[in-house]
Formats: sequence, structure tokens, C-alpha cells
Amino acid sequence: MKTDKKELMWHIPLLIAVFIQLWPIVFMISTSLKDMDQIFQATLNPLPFPPTLNNYTTVLEDFPLLTYIYNTFIIAAGTTAMKVITSVLAAFAFIYYDFKYKETIFNSMLLTFFIPVTVLIMPNYLLMSKLNLLNHPLGVMLPAFADGMGIFLMRQTMRGIPKALLEAAILDGAKPFVILRRVILPLIKPSVIAVAILFFINSWNEYFWPLLVLQDKEMYTLPLALQMFISAEGGSEWGIAMAVAVLTSLPPLILYVFCQKFILNTFMQSGVKG
Amino acid sequence: MEKNKWHAFLFLLPSIFFFVVFSYWPLLQNLYLSFFSWNMVSPNMTFVGIENYTAVLGSEELIKILANTVVFVAIMLVLNFVLPYLFSFVLGHLIERGKGFYRSTLFMPATLSLAVASILFLWIYNPLAGPLSIVLSWFDLESPRWFKENWLVIFAICTIIGWKVFGYNLIVMLAAMLAVPKEMIEAAKLENASNWQIFKQIIVPMTSSTAIYVFTITVVFGLQYVLVPVNMLTQGGPDQGSSNLVYIIYQYAFVFFQTGKSAAFAIITMICYIAFLLFRTKYLEKKVYYEN
Repeated sequence: MKTDKKELMWHIPLLIAVFIQLWPIVFMISTSLKDMDQIFQATLNPLPFPPTLNNYTTVLEDFPLLTYIYNTFIIAAGTTAMKVITSVLAAFAFIYYDFKYKETIFNSMLLTFFIPVTVLIMPNYLLMSKLNLLNHPLGVMLPAFADGMGIFLMRQTMRGIPKALLEAAILDGAKPFVILRRVILPLIKPSVIAVAILFFINSWNEYFWPLLVLQDKEMYTLPLALQMFISAEGGSEWGIAMAVAVLTSLPPLILYVFCQKFILNTFMQSGVKG
Repeated sequence: MEKNKWHAFLFLLPSIFFFVVFSYWPLLQNLYLSFFSWNMVSPNMTFVGIENYTAVLGSEELIKILANTVVFVAIMLVLNFVLPYLFSFVLGHLIERGKGFYRSTLFMPATLSLAVASILFLWIYNPLAGPLSIVLSWFDLESPRWFKENWLVIFAICTIIGWKVFGYNLIVMLAAMLAVPKEMIEAAKLENASNWQIFKQIIVPMTSSTAIYVFTITVVFGLQYVLVPVNMLTQGGPDQGSSNLVYIIYQYAFVFFQTGKSAAFAIITMICYIAFLLFRTKYLEKKVYYEN
């Protein structure tokens, strides 16, 4: 069994990598369930004994956490819905129509994906301030309503639809919008859901742009709220900070655990060149 | 395919609108602002010509910022390009058992917010009581102040990004690995080729287009991901020791309130990015073509 032994050797670096990737998450959860004494005396012990929910109750009582959750959800859901709509519509144009400068337009849309955020933040901030949208969820959402990667992924999926199917629909006299809704969308539903999940997770996790737009604490999203638990010297309320970190991570983790296949497949596609 | 270009335009319109207003117009506005001296609130802007550029390009700060940026990129290329590349080869072609398990566990941190990762590692790296300092003390080592020492701070921040991005890049590389026909690898193994030879002579040429994509996003997005831990944990410090080409734009605008210099840095950074992307298409992609 020479091959088995050889394979065993390769599992060692992989298991080390798994440990490095998973341990901080386990550590985050276990710290959030420890009281102050355990945090400092049994720092490395992953099993809090006895586990306590005190950190969570403190956070819920002392901070408007439900407001943060609500704010984060509204922004993430709104951004996701708009991004999916604009991406599907644009991808459809690239698949269904033939027009001049098609590749140039497509590339210039994809290119926006690579522009660094900080290059855009000052002008966009000034624009939001002119539109009176500072401190408003819409100010966070508006610049994110179209997405180069989304258009790329949707076009990639729509390419897989047999041309004959579209031609048959055209012969039946169907209008473009009807074709998109009745023929294409039912076929690509799984991909649309997968892309929506990705958009949602990304928007949920967003930190930098919301930080600039949302100024009042009541408008904060969860990732911004985390900032409040960092004091200049690193802070000492680690149990509470970890409880907020766990709450922030829960929705993406749950979505990941239940829709793993969807998510991994979409991510795998993103590197495939069109 | 339909040829009615007005219909096509209608479908593209929403995306075009948002891209023009929030991505392309700001680029032009930066160019405009870079010729003025302004503090974002005052009603008067003063035209200063290319003064912002000469000030920025002549400053000692620029050298530090560029050096930091290079170090950031170099460490991230190791953690988020070289390592995922090698691991995806192991995962795709050298093992049979546990593939699904590795895939899903290694990816998990990629779903978390960088804000979460930052606060989590702030605690892990805490020099007084954090878990890493405890582990170091077993070996009689004293924990350095990770986020307060020059250069070390860049390394510490890169490990946060590395932790979060590793799994994503691994999955993207794995897709390319799995597209390499198994028979080719089997045939090479029959001829007693070593794993290294297989990697170098079969895998690298056959996965190069995806590898270039991962290389690109590691550089381009890496510097943006860095923003979150830098802003949360160091604010560019100690003494600008963790600032970089992307963060400095934010600093000049929202910390120092010098929009002109911020815009000048934005334009310089954009030029660097475009140069990098052009280098990628002109040089790297040509190489792919020849190798295939």
C-alpha cells in the first residue's frame, strides 16, 4: 500500500491549514461564552466551563443591537436585490443582442470591479452629501447597485443556454422581456440564487464605505458596531467583543453551511475566463 | 441574435447609469480636484495647478508609502497566491480522501467580515494576554507588540488578510486544477515523473490563465482588504508604518482634510493600477498563449 502512505503525508499540511483556518472561529465562539475570569485564566481552553450567555445578554441590554441587525439587513437585502436585477438585465443584453462595441462596453463594466474603493470614496462622499444621503442607508447602497462581477457571472451562466431555445421563443413571437422572464430566468434560477447569496454576504460584511456614510450610532451596521469595542490599548471586554463578532458572523456562516455547494460552485466559476 | 440596439441599450441602461455616476465620474472628479487646494468644507477652492502632484511626488512620505505597499504585496502574494496554488495542487491531484471536508473547512473564513477578522486577530495577537502570547511563552519567548512595531505591523495585518482570503483563492485555483485531465497526470506518474515535475511541466502551463487571475486579484484586492484592519487597528501607524498607496488616499481626504493631495494620490494610485493591469494583459497573458 505504497500510495496510501504517500497520500497520508499530504494530509499533514492540509490538516495544519484546516487548524489555522478553523481555530480562530472556534476560539471566537468559545471566548464569547466565557466569563471574564475564564477568558484570562483559561484563554486557550476551547470549552468554556460553565458556558455563560452573560456576554450576549449584556450586549443586547447595553447596545441597540437589534437596530444594528435591522440596519445591516436592510442595506444587504436592498443592495442584493438591485445588484441581481441590474446584473441579470445587463447580462441578457450581452447574450441576446448583437451591437457595436459590445466587448468594449462589457470590459469597461468588468473593469469597475478593479477600481480601488478609496479612489472613489471622496467624490462619492461629496456626491452623497450634496444629495443629502449621508447618514442614510440609501447613501450606503446607491454606489453598489451595479456590479461588474455579477454581470460577468450572469453572462457566463446565460451562455450555457442552448441558442435553439431562444430562437424557438423568438419564432413564437415572444418579446425580449418575456423571453428573459419565461425562458431564461427559470433555467438559471440556481445561479441567480447563488449570486444573490454572495452579494448578500459581501454587503452584510461591508465595513469601509458604510463607515464614512453612516455617522450616527443608531444608523450603524454590525461590522461598524464592532469598532466600538476596540479601545486605544486593545480593550479588555473581549467576551463582549467576541459576542458581537459571533452575531455579525452568524448569518454568513449559516448561509454558507446550508448553501455550501451553491456558493463554492459560483466562486469556482468566477476564475474561469469568458 | 437580435440587432435592435436600442432595446439592448435599455437593458444595459441601469448598469451603465450606476457605473458612470459612481465609478467613472468620480475618476474624472478626482482629476479635477487634484488641481485645487481645498479642505472639503470651505466654500472656496484655490486653483494650484500641479502643486499637489509635486508636493506628493517630492515628499519623503511617498517613499515610505511605496516601500510599505511593496512589502504588503510581497507578503500577500506568498500567503494568498503561492500557498493556495500549491495547496490546490495537493487537494486536486495528490489526495483521494477528504476532498470535500478540506474544501468546505478551508473556505469558511472567506465568508466572514474583515471587521470580524480584525477584532478577532487583535485579541489573538494581544501581547499581554492573547492566545499567541501564551503559546510563545511556552518557548520562553516574549510576544512583540504586533501592531505597534514597524514592518511587523505589516506582517500581522497580512496574516489577517491571508486568513480571510486563502480559502477563496484556493477554491478558484482548485477549479482550474480539476480541469487538468486526470489521464495526463496518471501518464506522467507512470513515467516516474516526480510531483514537482508534474506541477512544473503540466499543472503550471495548464492552469496559467486562472493563476494570473488569482495573481491579479491578490494584488488589486489585497491592498483594498488591507484598509479594514489598518483603519480599525492601526490608522496607518505606527508613524505611517502600515499606510499604503490605497489607504493614504483615505487619510488625506478624511483625516487630514486635504482633498487636493488625496485626489493626487488617487490619480497616482490609479496610474499604478492601470500599469499593473496592462502589464498583466501585455506580458503575462502573452506568456500563457505561448505556453499553451
